[in-house]
Amino acid sequence: MSHNPETKNISSVLKAVNKPGRYIGGEYNRVMKNKDEVKCRFAFCFPDTYEIGMSNLGVRILYDVLNRDKDIWCERVYAPWEDMKAKMEEYDIPLSAVESGDPLSAFDLVAFSLQYELCYTTALQMLKLAGFPLRSKDRGEDVPIIVGGGPCVFNSEPVADFFDLMNIGEGEEVLLEICHLYNEMKDNGTYTRAAFLRAASHIEGVYIPSLYDVSYNEDGTIKEYRPLYDDVPTKIKKRIVEDLDKAPYPDKLIMPYVETVHDRIVLEVYRGCIRGCRFCQAGMVYRPIREKSPETLCKNAKCLYENTGYDEISLISLSISDYSELRELTDGLLSWTDNAHVSLSLPSLRIDSFSEELMKKVSSVRTGGLTFAPEAGTQRLRDVINKNVCEEDLMRAVGIAFRGGKSSVKLYFMNGLPTETLEDIEGIADLAGKVVKEYYKMPKQDRPRGVSVTISVACFVPKPFTPFQWEKQDSFEELIKKQEHLKGCITDKKIRYTYHDAKVSFVEAVLARGDRRLSDAIELLVNEGAMFDAWDEYFDYDKWMSAFERTGVDTAFYTTRGFGLDEILPWDMIDCGVTKEFLLRERKKAYEGKTTPSCAEHCNGCGANKLGGKNRWCN
Amino acid sequence: MVQLTPQHPYVTLRLKFKKVGSLQYISHLDLVRTMSKIITRAKLPLWYTEGFNPKPKMIFAAPLSIGTESVCEFMDLRLVDDISPEEAKARLNANMTDEMQVIDAYYTEDKLTELKWLSYSIDITTDNASVELAQSCERALLTDEVLVKKKAKPWEEAPTVNIRPLIKEISAELRGDVIHIDAVLSADASAFLNPEYVVKALRSACGILSNPDLTKEYYSIMRTAAYKADMSEFR
Ligand code: SF4
Repeated sequence: MSHNPETKNISSVLKAVNKPGRYIGGEYNRVMKNKDEVKCRFAFCFPDTYEIGMSNLGVRILYDVLNRDKDIWCERVYAPWEDMKAKMEEYDIPLSAVESGDPLSAFDLVAFSLQYELCYTTALQMLKLAGFPLRSKDRGEDVPIIVGGGPCVFNSEPVADFFDLMNIGEGEEVLLEICHLYNEMKDNGTYTRAAFLRAASHIEGVYIPSLYDVSYNEDGTIKEYRPLYDDVPTKIKKRIVEDLDKAPYPDKLIMPYVETVHDRIVLEVYRGCIRGCRFCQAGMVYRPIREKSPETLCKNAKCLYENTGYDEISLISLSISDYSELRELTDGLLSWTDNAHVSLSLPSLRIDSFSEELMKKVSSVRTGGLTFAPEAGTQRLRDVINKNVCEEDLMRAVGIAFRGGKSSVKLYFMNGLPTETLEDIEGIADLAGKVVKEYYKMPKQDRPRGVSVTISVACFVPKPFTPFQWEKQDSFEELIKKQEHLKGCITDKKIRYTYHDAKVSFVEAVLARGDRRLSDAIELLVNEGAMFDAWDEYFDYDKWMSAFERTGVDTAFYTTRGFGLDEILPWDMIDCGVTKEFLLRERKKAYEGKTTPSCAEHCNGCGANKLGGKNRWCN
Repeated sequence: MVQLTPQHPYVTLRLKFKKVGSLQYISHLDLVRTMSKIITRAKLPLWYTEGFNPKPKMIFAAPLSIGTESVCEFMDLRLVDDISPEEAKARLNANMTDEMQVIDAYYTEDKLTELKWLSYSIDITTDNASVELAQSCERALLTDEVLVKKKAKPWEEAPTVNIRPLIKEISAELRGDVIHIDAVLSADASAFLNPEYVVKALRSACGILSNPDLTKEYYSIMRTAAYKADMSEFR
């Protein structure tokens, strides 16, 4: 945010803050254009630090897509850390884009990637630093159009009042259509904020919150979402990219000077998930499953390697081992990566796919940490959540890993799942104990070290567009009780136990399930300085509770109450492909303890296939 | 060019490069990571270390600290193949941004440790810049004892040291409203003097750079030249 010569003496400010390298831009492979030669200046904001934002794959893809258009210049914007923010306020330095150093007021569209609910305060704080009014209705003609996108917008209602336009679903095509509409209206002189937003509401995948009126019943539930005009759609259908093999993928990546979270080549292997775990939002909202071919992926990888010089390639998708051509892909990559001193890494291995072969072939599996996610402690509860793995799978996987020389493993679980009892909690400790035993089944000479098993337990947050979207969240007290109970069940010193702060999960649940009545509380928090709530050191539960209380928000309404099956949900105007009927069916099966096979076995009729696309499994 | 043998499996290419502008805010560690990507992109015939985790070898002379620009950084790179220095330089520069560029590249067998002195330009912008202030800055740095408190861990007492023996030459003059200082400081690995200490000494001796308003008083440092022990040019 520093290259603008008008920003006086920013260099002395940079000398006075921590990690100034995150503010300087100037990276290799960034896109520079002449601002007088483009029609549309697009600021892509990531409401977190540079180090985190630079690693986001979505931003990398969309930056590339937008900049391929000669009429558009897309630049990046990140949130300044607290010390820099203070200096910006002290010296009247407005928030600016990394590439040009121009303040956000110089842009036509300013988009935010909303990846997690707790980033809302940071996003709004960035609007303030840019000098824009927080609420859409208060913005004049000279303020850029403020756009929201990313997974959070599947229920964007808590921040609906702050955004002019929401991009529902994948942005590759929609964002271009939005920019083209903007350019067209500017060119022919028909542009006003109101006219543009109204016209944009006709683009599939665009939701304009201000064009809807919400009314409520006496009991506080939603009565109706009503479009203000007949031409505004009552239901907004998610957009997808039809054919990932044909969709653009970056052939170069911006090379950060400072170390970022995922400082490596990232290959997106497929979108969607065949599994259908009943608590998982990503597994539902990214359907249908669309795979890229190994040929395309190998081409992408080679090209990115030459243009970046990275020595690591990471394959990502929701569950990498479910990729139907994983062997072809890894063989294709390994044919040159070893000689080029490039290593492969595979995150998110499923328990039932862990194999000796992968351990031999893939260095991250060989040398990296070993993590598995059984999610629940008993088979009964794993069936309820449709996590189709069993104890034998886990023992087989850790057995292979232990015999391959590993001696520590991390297991992920969740507390507060629907139907959970204390027995399920005890099951977690049990399972960890059995993993320890599995290690000691090896002959003594094969275990040079002691074994260490870490269990990491998150709290269940019922998310929109999952079969559990109606469920209640355990109260704070219940969650604490369960955490304590588990602590009491663990006696073995070889088992380490860590758990998430239930307070964070509680606020997450309010934000994930909330409606427009939360906006006053969020605005209040932002005006009182809240930022970086996704960071433990900045998250302040008491401040959140106080803001909810002062603005009349009953948090129990969104959390411990649970939602009625016939209630209108805050996200009901969004069509993410997966139907409500399917979610209800899955919910019923959950309570019956019945599992649903993966899409690879047969299609379960979730409805996402109606979105089209070159699907792998859907019929 | 030397013949490559099992005993001598590589040749050393020395790069002299600049790191200026906003890149003064990049730490040495970040420079090393950045450089390793650059040399890969430039497709140089790199020599890799032996062992389980082979890496190309880069050796840097006198790391810069954050906040100092430089037009004379040195780095040695090990190559396994003959490539003309001009070619190497061109390929590297094509893979760097304007603020970091190779100025010179050549094969050498001299050690980087022969670099003993570095010269710096320090420009101090201050509202009360004057000829007198420039003179008093020069005097303050030419006295027998120039004492500064060293950096220390929060729980330690910061030791006071005399940096005068590490200053070879110093001069200060007024240039417009800027106090311009030229300094030649020790770059010996065992007695390296960070130019920030010179600024620190001036801060306590002459009371400059004490304005809390960062837009009123500020300074910049540029590393400009490198010398051997006998003050001949290091290259
Ligand atoms: S339509 Fe069928 S195969 Fe496709 S994602 Fe839904 S359940 Fe799976």
